[in-house]
Amino acid sequence: MLRLDGMSCGYGDFRAVTDLSLEVREGSIFALIGANGAGKSSTILAIAGHVALQGGGITFENQEISTLPARRRVHLGIAIAPEGRQLFPDLTVRENLIVGGMIHDRKAEAENIERVLGLFPRLGERLTQLAGSLSGGEQQMLAIGRALMAQPKFLMIDEVSLGLMPAMVDVCYNAIAALRQEGITVLLVEQSTQRALDIADDVCVLESGRTVWQGTAAEARDDPSLTAAYLGLSD
Amino acid sequence: MTELALLVQGLLDGSIYALIAVGLTLVYGLLRILHVAHAALFTLGGYVGVVVTNETGSFILALVAAMIVAGIAGMIIYRLVYQPILHLPPYVALIASIGLFIAMQEGFRFYDEQGVSYVNPPVQGTLELAGQTLQLAKIVTFFVAIILIGGLGLLAAKTRTGVAWRATVTMPAMAESFGINIIQVRYINFFIGSALAAVAGVMVSLTTNLVEPTSGDVWSYKALAIIVLGGLGSMRGTLIACFALGVLEAFATTTCVPLGNIQICLGEIMNRDAIAFAFLVIVLMIRPQGLFVRA
Repeated sequence: MLRLDGMSCGYGDFRAVTDLSLEVREGSIFALIGANGAGKSSTILAIAGHVALQGGGITFENQEISTLPARRRVHLGIAIAPEGRQLFPDLTVRENLIVGGMIHDRKAEAENIERVLGLFPRLGERLTQLAGSLSGGEQQMLAIGRALMAQPKFLMIDEVSLGLMPAMVDVCYNAIAALRQEGITVLLVEQSTQRALDIADDVCVLESGRTVWQGTAAEARDDPSLTAAYLGLSD
Repeated sequence: MTELALLVQGLLDGSIYALIAVGLTLVYGLLRILHVAHAALFTLGGYVGVVVTNETGSFILALVAAMIVAGIAGMIIYRLVYQPILHLPPYVALIASIGLFIAMQEGFRFYDEQGVSYVNPPVQGTLELAGQTLQLAKIVTFFVAIILIGGLGLLAAKTRTGVAWRATVTMPAMAESFGINIIQVRYINFFIGSALAAVAGVMVSLTTNLVEPTSGDVWSYKALAIIVLGGLGSMRGTLIACFALGVLEAFATTTCVPLGNIQICLGEIMNRDAIAFAFLVIVLMIRPQGLFVRA
């Protein structure tokens, strides 16, 4: 569904990601794993159109999208729940959801809000509350819900579990599993590798902007040198 | 002269500040630019208002024409002056804005150095309130401001376009991720802000019956100080600051306080503009971030 071919990206003269190639299969969950500063967030921001490419290309459903403006990519079915959630703090929960579904009409908007509230019932109790006043877990739910309002085929979620209580992490990961059941392809960026490996089909490990390992999640779990060296996991 | 009359007078003047300052806040909120050239759009509105009224005899038509002309001029300013330098530090846009302001003033001077006046000034007359004479034009200005700014507030709060606009002001890149055309939002922003400045220019011209190249200067300098006072980018703070300043001016210019055996009347020592700026300077010295800080 999504392919990166030798993609490099960065900010001005700074190169955050170098020569990254990967393919995300339709209907799968792909985990992009690495330490802070590895280039994970830059990668998904480049896919969303917010970070300039410095080389290589991005193909989505056989269409080259490297030069497509960010606002056009959501029309193709690409949505993002970014690092730090980046909600609109002065807007209510409902208004944040409305922004997420801005490319669809009012009828679809109402249906999509119902769908998001079905996935995250707690947001239903907060609809008129300002997004900035939500707890961390609720903000993460809203960030994912806002992205779902665009009816994406391909959803990118950055640091799902960062700063959340375990119960909230469960809620978010259960939602991601449910999205896979609906056929949505997910690109997951995580530092918390255990949860990501548990749910992902495929994994790419980044270090200092370069790929150090790529394969299936099962292979990653079975590779002791990998889990010890890069994933911070050990038996 | 009662306190009520002074309060009303202050609110009427505050509504003019509001018409000007809302546009400045819109631009600052979205682009983080102090749009000094806004003063020239105030003046442009005044010129169009007087000229069209004199030519057609219709003040309403003149008001609409002023809004459209200034609105389009605002969009052109965004496209030609600000958009190419948005990636540069904010002071670059500020300097460009000051330069544009001076250039537009010279343009007005080229058109008519002496200024223009109404042949048959519309919306004239006065009303008496508790011994205070209120100009009908100021009362009309107040209601026009309430309708326009109130309508803008409703648009922002109740419509999808308004929600998209507020989202863009808060986080343009995220708004763009969800398909919002932020360039279009900027154009709309400049159109609305400039049109409101034009309304202020036309309404002020009713009370002065004169529009000259420097007509907008003092109003706009005050409006710039007001948006700082209100907390840069905060619409609520800006509106409160506008009406607070109007009321303060009304009271400060007419009220005397006893000091020993003598009466100190501020209005006899300083004119209203000097009082306003003194107040703004003092408040900003105490609270440089403004009264209301934007989230």
